[in-house]
Amino acid sequence: MDETVAEYIRRTVLKIPKDEIKMMLQKWGFLSEAQLQTLNFHQIKDNISQEVVQLCEENSADIKQAALLDIIYNHIYQDKRVWTVYQMKKSGDELEYFDITDFKKKFKRKIRSALKNVTITFKEYEDNAIWIRVAWGTPYKKPNQYKPSYVVYHSQTPYVFIAASVIRSNMPLLCQALIVASNYHDIREMELRSHSLNSLKDIVFKRYSQNFPTNTTKPLQREIVEPENADIRIVQENRSEKERIYRLNQEIFGSGPQPKLEFAQYRLETMFKSDPKLDVLDKKEPFRCLVKFSSPHLLESLKSLAPAGMADAPLSPLLTCIPHKARNYFKIREKKSFESFVSP
Amino acid sequence: PPPFQESVDPQKTAFLLRKAWTLYSVTPMYRFRRACLRDYARLLSASIAAEKQKGLAVEVGTELDIKVALSSLAELRGSELDHAALLVQLSSRSKASSRNSEDKLVWSGWFCSMFGDDLSENLPEDFTSLPLFLSHGAESYTALVGSWFQKTFDCCFRRLAISPQNLSWMVAMWAGCKLDRAASAVELVFSVPRLAQPLDISYAIHPEDAKALWDTVQKTPGEITQEEVDVFMDCLYAHFHRHFKIHLSAAKLVKVSTAVASAHCDGIVKILHSQYLPGVLMLLTELAISQIQ
Repeated sequence: MDETVAEYIRRTVLKIPKDEIKMMLQKWGFLSEAQLQTLNFHQIKDNISQEVVQLCEENSADIKQAALLDIIYNHIYQDKRVWTVYQMKKSGDELEYFDITDFKKKFKRKIRSALKNVTITFKEYEDNAIWIRVAWGTPYKKPNQYKPSYVVYHSQTPYVFIAASVIRSNMPLLCQALIVASNYHDIREMELRSHSLNSLKDIVFKRYSQNFPTNTTKPLQREIVEPENADIRIVQENRSEKERIYRLNQEIFGSGPQPKLEFAQYRLETMFKSDPKLDVLDKKEPFRCLVKFSSPHLLESLKSLAPAGMADAPLSPLLTCIPHKARNYFKIREKKSFESFVSP
Repeated sequence: PPPFQESVDPQKTAFLLRKAWTLYSVTPMYRFRRACLRDYARLLSASIAAEKQKGLAVEVGTELDIKVALSSLAELRGSELDHAALLVQLSSRSKASSRNSEDKLVWSGWFCSMFGDDLSENLPEDFTSLPLFLSHGAESYTALVGSWFQKTFDCCFRRLAISPQNLSWMVAMWAGCKLDRAASAVELVFSVPRLAQPLDISYAIHPEDAKALWDTVQKTPGEITQEEVDVFMDCLYAHFHRHFKIHLSAAKLVKVSTAVASAHCDGIVKILHSQYLPGVLMLLTELAISQIQ
């Protein structure tokens, strides 16, 4: 077995948390059940990985098998990477039958026509997702297995999710290969990025609960706890305001869980407007700002701002439009004629 | 207050810049003698070595020898009434390496008073007032050095937190500074921790635009009032609210960052521009003094 393959397998196994190694090796299926039985999973990870490498040696593992193990690891730990969404465009309306073998062949052919030193690996998953791993080399160097790009393509959709490698110069070739292989004619990067691959899918496949305006005034449920000794009139005011906020939140965000995004970024190029009494800045040029929101779960966080008294309800459309506009990077410029915001 | 244009020799103070300093307030030191720096260095060195023998909380390996150097920074003071700054440096030299190998600086801390007359004015003779202490390096060394000074000079160190109000003052002041080079953005970082899912908001303004705003707010050059700072902040909050409908004023301002300096509410400061070093130190000295009093 090639030394570099052995080392790559060793390092991949080392990444896996100790109590998950057995499961992942089973998913991989390259080592037989009998071989797996011989492994001692109670020793330190260093030793486990050495033993795994020895077994792989027995089976003459090559880079293809090693790459497959890497895909399996990254599929389970997909949230460790940042995924960017791309959308492909078709010229016509024809519904073509998707042939996976044809796709793989065309993809490999396109990449190899430009670059011989690549490792290309595919794995299909149950939800119609095709995972592609590409390790890039140069005309003179073998592929760098430690900085591959990962692509997730759902064949029934025009969407591709890419966790690019650090080597950005390969992106154009990767994009080209995708459209050629899938019979589209163009691809564009959407302004939508997140660690949570599933949430990105929820957003573009519209799988999250959307805002359906309701006309019914639903009475407040367990959500609000009332203070014990409050003046009855005060409680009543609070209560109707709280109900109003709750209702608006439901209308805008829906009642189901929000897709999980970690950040949103707004580049503001709007005018600064102030109370004329303050006698401050009155420039004719934009007040340039960059605003970044971050949270372990951004949309849930934003949803809780108005109930917490931190924001007005309804919340700004700049924030609430994130899922249905399928973007979390915005450039906001002043619209000339009236007071509303446009994202180009 | 004197103008900010008085600058110290950039060469001598270069080591202060672009480092994250953790801030403390220090009560006046009793019977501190400037002439005895060498002796103090020896005593502190022995104290550190003794603590290491006890096996107490020192991160470096036991092969390392810690050398202590104490020096005065005469330029780092506001007026004649201030004592000169005192610099403490801990360096390590691996016992294993040759005699020619260079010492590696592992920790530095310095005591400073920049126009700290408020505190030093009424002090009895035997006390030295250097109310601001800044440290850079492992927390364990800070503890060792701090406790030696506390024991030896009967003083008290306390972490200096920076309130949102003081952070606002800093960002308004620094946003208005004139800089000859291209400046970095004026950034305010807010945190909304009490939500089920915490939220952080970074609000960065183009430095030219922030300065333009401040210039229209500030009525008297060289002087800043609380009212002007409030107006500046209200303008920023209003602009933000116009877009996002969020009340930034209700969030916690945790960090401000400009091309001049950055400051974090936990009492950590980074000074980026030697020209404004005295101004920043003066402000920090003031904060330290109000914490002591």
